[in-house]
Amino acid sequence: MADEKNPPADNPYTQIHVVQSGDTLSKIAQKYYGDAALYTNIFEANRDVLSDPNKIRPGQKLRIP
Amino acid sequence: MKKSSLWVLAALAAVLVAGCQNQRAPAEQAVASAESTLTSVRDAAMHYEPDKLQAVDAQLTGVKDSLSKGDYKAVLAAMPALNTAINDLRDTATAKQQEAQAANDKAKDAWGPMSADVPKMVDAIQSRVDILSKSHHLPKGVTKDTLAAAKSGVDSMKAAWGAASNAATAGDYSTAVSKGQAIRDQASQVMQSLGMTSS
Repeated sequence: MADEKNPPADNPYTQIHVVQSGDTLSKIAQKYYGDAALYTNIFEANRDVLSDPNKIRPGQKLRIP
Repeated sequence: MKKSSLWVLAALAAVLVAGCQNQRAPAEQAVASAESTLTSVRDAAMHYEPDKLQAVDAQLTGVKDSLSKGDYKAVLAAMPALNTAINDLRDTATAKQQEAQAANDKAKDAWGPMSADVPKMVDAIQSRVDILSKSHHLPKGVTKDTLAAAKSGVDSMKAAWGAASNAATAGDYSTAVSKGQAIRDQASQVMQSLGMTSS
């Protein structure tokens, strides 16, 4: 078992958050991690669908590692 | 005593001895056959019917004792019961062995998907635990104790998974799947405690 073997993109047990209107990565990080500053973890886990951490849209499904 | 009486006595004695010797070969063959059958099922019997095996061994020891004392009549009288006991032992031990094999084969089918699935559950939990460990605060519903329990849970799940994998490698899929299911159940609980269900 190692993170490099099961990155979030391939892991069906990685939590998914459906972006709601008004969401930001910081708010999402606050919700799941208790710390908005950890939003980079969410951004990195979703580089295949996010090019800019400030640009998310409602309905997007984001992995929450 | 008259000579003729002595001759009669001697003749009678000879007949008796000959009669006993006539029973010797059948008695020895019967015991050898019983031992051979018992040997062929001993491994399975030790595993699946140890108490019955112990009883049969005791019976066989008694018969062999009679054989060593030359009591061939007693040996032959005891053989039907001994053979019945050995056959019953063979049948039940073999049936249990086949049942266990069928259960193991079924478990082997379950092991494939489980061996892919469970590590992913644990990895997802590990990832969350690692991130929460860096957090200055914890999310709603997650306490320091919850996080500490999750960390220790991940360690125990990894150790248990090692044992499950070893069992599978050894061909004991029943044990492997049983352990794997326990890990899966534990992982589900930990995920719930960390709020890892999808919204």
